[in-house]
Amino acid sequence: MDYYLSQLINGICQGSIYALMAIGFSVVFGVVGLVTFTHGEVIMIGAFAAFYAFELVGTNLLIGIVASFAASAMIGVFVYKVCYERFLDAPEYISLICTIGVSMLLKSLAQIIFGPNNKPMLDVVPNHFFGWGVVGITLIQIIVIATVAMVSALLYFFLNRTRWGIMLRAVSQDRKAAALMGINVKRMILTGNCIGCGLGGVAGMLLAVYYQTLVATMGGSAGMKAFAAAVLGGLSDVPCAALGGLLLGIIENLGITFSSASFRDIFAFVFLLIVLLIKPEGFAHKKGARA
Amino acid sequence: MIDPSTSSAPGRMAPLPKWLKLSLCALGFAFLLALPRLCPQSYTMGVMCRIFMYALLAGSLNVINGYSGQFNIGHAGFYCVGAYCEAILATKLGLSFWIALPLAGVAAMLVGCIVAVPTLRLRGTYLAIVTLGASEIIRLIALNWDDFTGGPNGIKGIPAPLLGSFKISKAVDYYYIFLALAILFFFLTARVINSRVGRAWMSIREDEAAARSLGVEASRYKAANFMYGAFWAGIAGGAFAPYFKYISSDMFSLDEGFNILSMVIIGGQGTLIGPVVGAVIVNFLTEVLRPVSQYRSVAYAILIIVMMWVRPQGLVGASNSVLAERRLGRHRGKATHGGAK
Repeated sequence: MDYYLSQLINGICQGSIYALMAIGFSVVFGVVGLVTFTHGEVIMIGAFAAFYAFELVGTNLLIGIVASFAASAMIGVFVYKVCYERFLDAPEYISLICTIGVSMLLKSLAQIIFGPNNKPMLDVVPNHFFGWGVVGITLIQIIVIATVAMVSALLYFFLNRTRWGIMLRAVSQDRKAAALMGINVKRMILTGNCIGCGLGGVAGMLLAVYYQTLVATMGGSAGMKAFAAAVLGGLSDVPCAALGGLLLGIIENLGITFSSASFRDIFAFVFLLIVLLIKPEGFAHKKGARA
Repeated sequence: MIDPSTSSAPGRMAPLPKWLKLSLCALGFAFLLALPRLCPQSYTMGVMCRIFMYALLAGSLNVINGYSGQFNIGHAGFYCVGAYCEAILATKLGLSFWIALPLAGVAAMLVGCIVAVPTLRLRGTYLAIVTLGASEIIRLIALNWDDFTGGPNGIKGIPAPLLGSFKISKAVDYYYIFLALAILFFFLTARVINSRVGRAWMSIREDEAAARSLGVEASRYKAANFMYGAFWAGIAGGAFAPYFKYISSDMFSLDEGFNILSMVIIGGQGTLIGPVVGAVIVNFLTEVLRPVSQYRSVAYAILIIVMMWVRPQGLVGASNSVLAERRLGRHRGKATHGGAK
């Protein structure tokens, strides 16, 4: 029982990282209206940006958050310029294939620049353990969950209480109507894409801090999990996407108690298939997923 | 092998007179048959074998992406299933290559069915991510299921196929097998594409709602299309397992899937000859970039992006193809509506 309880805590912690990735994914999907394949690579860039910030400036978590957000948001500008700006009215798979190309480009460049092997992450958080008997929680886990909660609260405030956030939501609801209301649609798409990517970058930093390792190819499975979690929210509903991420983390960690840990990534996929079979439009009832 | 495809896709390419087509076919076929005599070096033969393999893989992916408008980006997964299936059947059960090969195709087809059916009613992008995930999952299963797939060590010593009592072991011998497979594939696919089934696939690609209202059972045809593509990917994997003699899970990574996809895109989706051209170009690039192999995927990635910017219908795709037309429509739309959708 204690074992399951500690797995549950691990699951909540990992789930909160997945939730942040999924939030970023659904923000991007909301404004762009397209699934992006670059999200995994954006997450990876965030992790590396934080790594180098820690190494050059100092091991302060805030520095890492700022660095990873900024680096990934810059990648977001690049992705927007290459994949979306020219193709907003073109058939959607042109943009899709462009994001695949950018994802390949970023991944292979990262392998060349950062090297193909795993790098150990610096110790940002001291290794404390708060326990009640066998069950316990580490300081890293608390900080990860707190960071995710803080960033999500900031995003919630931004989306609901600021002028830009409301413009962003308007664009993701109806681009044409937003344009008629005098909103600069292209600029909002760029902004939304950057914010979504930045959130992905912060998630990447947390992933690297939590697992104490980072590698240029970490984006593949991370991007998949972000998508699997975001599907629960119908891809564009931010709170439901966060919920999906949490659920995914818990399922994964309970799943590996029944089998081996090397099958971890398989659960995300099975979860995704089950969701698609049972409730393809997700928990939210906004944009239908059906064709 | 290039030539059977000139008879493809009605209305997509400039029509050639029939005698010219036939004589081109015959000429190309004779050239391909004579090639091992003209340059019998094992290097050339090896490159040709790779080109055939990728032409098969890209061609089968093109059936899915190009003809029915579904979006599969994890083709390496089906290739992996086929290769492992042949390798396991040949090493563990000692089955002959000629029995194991179709079984490998069928296995890949079944996996394709499992992947495609849950996503049939959904938007294409869901299928894209599911295929991406499936490809990675298949690779992970191959990597972790130690007793069955050899785990990280892969499967070694896959026996060479026997033709009667003749052991096929040299690249030249394999060349003929792959040539035969590729010709079979392109002949069959050209027939399917020009049949009722192929027209149903293309009508789904052009406008699914319209196709449905005209009585095309879209989900069934899409599933059949996906399974057909997966079947040939499995065949390609099964044929190449004995050629490589050794397979391991890292040969079937996501990058491999993207490689295959880039061939289809560079050559031109929805044309039979496009994937062949793409396979030739990409393999040529591979050979040219061999000294700086880590920049290879950078080059592919840039090629894909440039292709999308400049010529989204691919090198072979006609300028009147759907892709090009819609792009022109975009420019017109831009001029009148000022860019915002």
